[in-house]
Amino acid sequence: MSKNTIIKVEGLSKKYLLNKQLAPKSDTLYGSILDQLKNFRSLNSKKQQEEFWALSNLSLEIKEGDRVGIIGRNGAGKSTLLKILSRITPPTSGKIILGGRVASLLEVGTGFHGDLSGRENIYLNGSILGMTKQEITKKFDEIVAFAEIEKFLDTPVKRYSSGMYVRLAFAVAAHLEPDILIVDEVLAVGDAEFQKKCLGKMKDVSGQGRTVLFVSHNMQAISTLCDQGILLNKGTLHTAGPIDTCLHNYFGLLKDYSFNENTAKNDRQSRANGKAAFSKAIALLPDGSENKFWSFRYDETLRFSFECKVHEVCDGLTFYMAIKGTTSETIITNIKTNIVSKDLKVGDTISFKLSIPACHVRSGQYDLYFAIGNKAGTSWYDVIDGNINLPALIVTAINEDIHDNIGYITIPYSIDEKTY
Amino acid sequence: MKTEKIIIDSSLHSKFSLKEIITYKSLLNNLAKRDFLVRYKQAYIGIAWALFKPLISILIFGYISTKINPGTSTATNFVYVAAAMLLWQLFSNIFNDVSNSILGNANLFSKVYFPKIIIPISTILVCLIDFFISLSILVVLFIISGQSIHWQLLLAPIFVALTILNGFGIGLYFATINVKYRDVKFIVPVIIQFGMYLSPVIFSTSYYLDRLPSYLHWVFCLNPMVGAIDGFKYCLFGGEMIYNLPYFIVSIAVSFLFLIIGLKYFYKFERSFVDYI
Repeated sequence: MSKNTIIKVEGLSKKYLLNKQLAPKSDTLYGSILDQLKNFRSLNSKKQQEEFWALSNLSLEIKEGDRVGIIGRNGAGKSTLLKILSRITPPTSGKIILGGRVASLLEVGTGFHGDLSGRENIYLNGSILGMTKQEITKKFDEIVAFAEIEKFLDTPVKRYSSGMYVRLAFAVAAHLEPDILIVDEVLAVGDAEFQKKCLGKMKDVSGQGRTVLFVSHNMQAISTLCDQGILLNKGTLHTAGPIDTCLHNYFGLLKDYSFNENTAKNDRQSRANGKAAFSKAIALLPDGSENKFWSFRYDETLRFSFECKVHEVCDGLTFYMAIKGTTSETIITNIKTNIVSKDLKVGDTISFKLSIPACHVRSGQYDLYFAIGNKAGTSWYDVIDGNINLPALIVTAINEDIHDNIGYITIPYSIDEKTY
Repeated sequence: MKTEKIIIDSSLHSKFSLKEIITYKSLLNNLAKRDFLVRYKQAYIGIAWALFKPLISILIFGYISTKINPGTSTATNFVYVAAAMLLWQLFSNIFNDVSNSILGNANLFSKVYFPKIIIPISTILVCLIDFFISLSILVVLFIISGQSIHWQLLLAPIFVALTILNGFGIGLYFATINVKYRDVKFIVPVIIQFGMYLSPVIFSTSYYLDRLPSYLHWVFCLNPMVGAIDGFKYCLFGGEMIYNLPYFIVSIAVSFLFLIIGLKYFYKFERSFVDYI
C-alpha cells in the first residue's frame, strides 16, 4: 500500500544572525555599569554579526501515518526543523506543504499559569494548543483521569508537585487530535511509569493514522516509538529511511567528535567568564590512546584526559564533573577537586587525567558535564556538556543479569551476622 | 478526514485575517480570562482597584479643575474631568498593555503557533472590563450634576471604540518595536504621562487653543485622543464640546492613520518575532 505524502519539504534553509556578545567582564554592580557604558559607546560602531545556517537546503518527504524520529547531534538543526514545521519561526528560503492540521508539543505546559487552578489551566493550555472549548469540554474527564489529579482540580497549579504538573500538562497535549503531532523531548520529564504511559499514548495516536514527529536524545524511546527516521547533521539531511538505519548511522557520526578551545565558543562564553578554557577533553582507552566512542565496559576504569589554557590571570583552578542521566536528572556530583591553588598566568597550560574506578557507574548512556573554576569554586571559567557536542558516556553491560543492567550506580555493601 | 493544505513559504507575509481570529476565539477568551483572573490576584481589595485608580485621578484633577473654572459648578467640573479621564485611562491602559503584550507572551508563541494578533486583542478585552467597572463613577457623577438625558448619549460608544482603536494602533506599533528594542518600556510611560497634558483631559480643547498661537492649532489636533475625548464629551454633555469641526475630523483621521500604520508594521514582522526575542 503506498501512502500519501503528508509533509513535503523543499530546499528549506534557515539563517540566524548571531550578535557577537562580549562576555560580561565583571561580577560587581559597579563593574557592570561600566560595561554597559562601554557597550553604549560601541553602539555607533558597526555591529559585528555572524551568520549561522541552522538548516541549509533540506528536502524531505514524510508519509501519512509514519512515526518519524528526528535524530542528530546538538546543533544539527532538529529543533529548528520542528519550529519551522510548527510555524513558530519562518524559513529563510524554501517551502513546506503540510497536508493537515499540525499540533506541536515543544514544551510541556506552554502557557500554564501558576495562579490558575488545574481546571482553568486545562482550558487555557488546550486553547493555546489549538483546541476549541467544545473539544476540551468533551475530553475534560479523560484528561483529568489520565493526569490522575482529580482531587486537586481546583488547586492553583503552583501548589502542585512537579510530577503532577507534568502529568497534567502532558495529559492535555495527549488529547489533541491533529493530523500531524510534533513532539520535542518532552518525555525528558516525569517518572519512568508516566513516561511509559506517554509513549503508549503516542503510539495510540499514530495507530489512528496520524503522523508523529518525535525528537529525543533518548535513543531507547526513539527506537521503541518510531518506524522511520531522519538523521540531520550540521543542518543538512544525512539519512532518511527506516529508524534502524538512521540510528546506526547516528552512532557512526558520534565518533567524529572533535573538540578544542574554539568549539561552540559563543555558547561557552555566555555561560562562564572565559578566563580559562578547556582545550582538550577526551576519553581514554586502557592503553592510553583516545577512546573515540566514549564507551567503556562496566568493568573498565573510566579514564579521561583534559587540557586547559589560561586566557586571563586566574585565581587557581578547580575541576568539577557531574554525570547526568539522559533524562537530565543529575546522578553523580561528588567530583569536585582543586587542581592548582596558586595564581595562574596568561598562557599557562594545565593538563590532568581523571580516573573513575571500574564497576561504579552502571551500564547505560549518561550525559557528562565538566567545568573549571577558581580556587574557591565560586566563579566558573568554562563549562562544557552535551549542549556543545560533548559526546555521551556509554557504559556497556558485561552480563545478562537484569539487575546489573538497570539502575545507575553500584555502592559497596556487606551482609553480616548471617545465621542459618 | 478533512485535509486542509497549509503552505509554509519563506516569501509569504502574514495578513490580518478575521476568519483566522474567529477560529482561535477560544484562545482569545482564555487569554483574556487568564489576564483578568491574574490581574487582581493577591491584591487585598482586588477588583476594587479598577474603581480606585480612576477615582483618585478624578478627585485630584477634578479639584484642580474647580479652581481653574470657578464659574462652572463643582459637580459639572468633576463630571467633565471624569468623562475625559476615564477615556484617557482606557487609552493609556490599552496603549501600555498592548505595547508590552507581545513580549510578555513570548513564552507562548515561541512554542506554539497561533496568530499573534490574538494577544493584543485579548489585552484590550481585559482593559475594557476595567473601563466598564470604572464607568459607574461617571454614571454617579452624571446624575449628581443633573445632566440631561438626550439621544446623543447613544453615540457615545462610537468614541469609546475610537479610543480603543487609538490605543490598539499605537500600541501595536510599539509592541513590534518592543520585540527588538526594550527601550519601549521606558518610552511608553513618558508618552502617557505627557500625553495627558496634551489632550483635553483636565482642560477643554478650547482652553488649550485659546492659549496656543493659531499656527499650532493644527498640531494640537494631530493628537488622535482630541477627537475621541471631544466627541465623547459632546455625546454626554452636548453643546460646545466640539470646538472646531475640521480639527475634530483631522484628529479622527489621524486615529485611522495610526491604526493602519500599527497593523502594517505589526504584520511586517509578525512571522519573525521569535527570532528577535
